[in-house]
Amino acid sequence: MASGVLLLVTRPPSKGLGKAAREGFAVAAKLAAELDEELSCAVVGEHIDAAANEAAERGAVSLLLLSNSALSAPGDTLTAAVTEAVRTTDPRVVIVPRGPDALELAPRIAIRLGGSSVTGVTEVRANSGEIEVVAAVFGGAARAVYRFTANGPAVIGMAPVLLEPPERSASRDTRKFIIDIPVIEERVVIIEPALDVETSRIEDARVVVSGGRGLGESENFELIRTLALSLGGMPGASRAIVDDGWAIPSEQVGLTGAIVTPDVYVAAGISGASQHMAGCSNARVIVAINTDRDAPIFRYAHFGIVDDCLEVLPELIRLRPEVSTSE
Amino acid sequence: MNILVCAKQVLDPEGVNSYALWGRLSVDESGRNFDTGGTIPHIVNAYDEQALEAALRIRDTGVDCSITVATVGAKDAKTMLRRGVAMGADHAIEVSSNESGTDGFQTAMIIANLVRELRNIDLVICGRQGSDFDQGTVPAALAEHLDWPYVTMASNVSIEGDALRVTRVTPRGEEIVETKTSTVVAVSNEIGQTRYPSSRLMMAARRMEHQVMDVSELLSEQFEGGVELIKLFVPELQGQCVVLDGDSPEAKAALLLNHLAEAGVLDG
Ligand SMILES: Cc1cc2nc3c(=O)[nH]c(=O)nc-3n(C[C@H](O)[C@H](O)[C@H](O)COP(=O)(O)OP(=O)(O)OC[C@H]3O[C@@H](n4cnc5c(N)ncnc54)[C@H](O)[C@@H]3O)c2cc1C
Ligand SMILES: Nc1ncnc2c1ncn2[C@@H]1O[C@H](COP(=O)(O)O)[C@@H](O)[C@H]1O
Repeated sequence: MASGVLLLVTRPPSKGLGKAAREGFAVAAKLAAELDEELSCAVVGEHIDAAANEAAERGAVSLLLLSNSALSAPGDTLTAAVTEAVRTTDPRVVIVPRGPDALELAPRIAIRLGGSSVTGVTEVRANSGEIEVVAAVFGGAARAVYRFTANGPAVIGMAPVLLEPPERSASRDTRKFIIDIPVIEERVVIIEPALDVETSRIEDARVVVSGGRGLGESENFELIRTLALSLGGMPGASRAIVDDGWAIPSEQVGLTGAIVTPDVYVAAGISGASQHMAGCSNARVIVAINTDRDAPIFRYAHFGIVDDCLEVLPELIRLRPEVSTSE
Repeated sequence: MNILVCAKQVLDPEGVNSYALWGRLSVDESGRNFDTGGTIPHIVNAYDEQALEAALRIRDTGVDCSITVATVGAKDAKTMLRRGVAMGADHAIEVSSNESGTDGFQTAMIIANLVRELRNIDLVICGRQGSDFDQGTVPAALAEHLDWPYVTMASNVSIEGDALRVTRVTPRGEEIVETKTSTVVAVSNEIGQTRYPSSRLMMAARRMEHQVMDVSELLSEQFEGGVELIKLFVPELQGQCVVLDGDSPEAKAALLLNHLAEAGVLDG
């Protein structure tokens, strides 16, 4: 019978697991302990060494390694390779870290292996031996609890979670397996790749300062950019002002934008609609600046300023250098 | 060329969101539905209207195509299919079902069998996800069942000679891909504004005859399903906001920076 928990890491950054995979690792390790089953990790991509080492040091009992250049983009080869890794381990549960691959891979491998999947999962638990997951629905306004009814593996695509993986330790025993990569003819051919410039990504920023309609007009988004910069962070925006052209699409935070998990998230003139919060509610500290004390954003915020953001933002920009010199 | 557009009817997420914003969202006794007394309407999933728009834009470029809209298990299929026809679809199919529609694996199986039944479909266009359960299962599972290639996060779809060309949104920017066989594409909101049907087309669409099939024609009784919704719940929000008091914006700003420094989250 299938057993064990498999963490699936696809196309990791060349430096290691990356934030999303670390969160996934934490979830997988916790579940494996709860089920008293083995934790394996499949690392699939072009440059996988650093990620594989990290997975071993964090306590994966076995490692499945699949690496070649055809695995650098989503497509038929990646899907087939991942399916092979899962088939080899025959796990009960597969954890797919959040990210663009999760959306595509989770249902596809589930079908290939006679299982089923749920994505956007915030919590995984074993309820008298049966796997149950909690996922955000309606853009985060509610949660749904699901169980899996198919015979094959339960494939779980994660949403951001606030969990830390086990500490790294070089002295662990890990079994390593190199898996043959199926040779597949790619049906989806990339004819013009993404620019792939190494720009900083809002997803990785430690501070995000976001603005919404409360900024009043397009020019005032400059305040957001300036404060973000002075805090060593990046600017973000609600969809409302991206639609209005005050901010650019890559700055949009939310369900249909970037999902960010910074240490500090400042929301200025943002009401706090669930679709926006779906992109930032896992920030460590949320700050709201809003004139309306009843705005929903205050129900998520840790610190709130009830005031005009057009007056508060310039003060924050002015005061910030003083704070850093007095430290 | 024959295009199938898959459209799901969802409980209006804006309505659900408004209830949540007012702090009035709750779940009924069954645990599987919201207790909103039928005040929230069922509407077409916004991404699916964009899926239809993508199909219509292919036709706008001069490609000879027949566009069919299909929906499974809708509460009020007629209204939504009528709008699809008014926007420009040629045919409409309703698969009637009493299932709650939360098992995308079941829906994908039904649509796969519909595609087989229709025989001549060259391209299926879906939305990237339902704005109700935010899963995105159906198009991916459908592609697997049909053994067709799958491209998601599409922001543009066109026909170039004998190839289907799709621009997809990736975290590193836009990327252009091509396929040469029947394909399932899922479109994202980057596709942009959808067209409004004129009142003349809306009137004409009222005479639409749509094909109705029962789910039993497309799904075997043995199908075990994929996932089961046990219950819904409304999460408690943190609700411990420390509101910073001060007699000027400056005082409040200073207080905030102190708190953040204390919390150790500003490392300069
Ligand atoms: C399927 C779907 C997906 C969506 N995806 C996203 C998404 O990814 N991201 C996203 O952000 N939204 C998304 N939305 C939209 C979302 O529902 C909201 O409409 C949007 O987030 C509202 O933006 P806002 O807070 O800037 O504007 P508003 O809701 O208009 O809020 C403006 C706020 O500013 C405050 N304010 C006004 N003046 C001032 C002032 N001078 N100083 C301080 N505060 C002031 C007001 O009190 C108010 O709270 C989505 C919606 C749907 C249906
Ligand atoms: N019941 C349904 N009827 C028709 N199409 C559907 C249905 N459910 C899902 N789809 C299609 O699959 C996409 C993703 O939906 P989902 O998997 O439910 O998130 C939608 O945008 C639709 O295009």
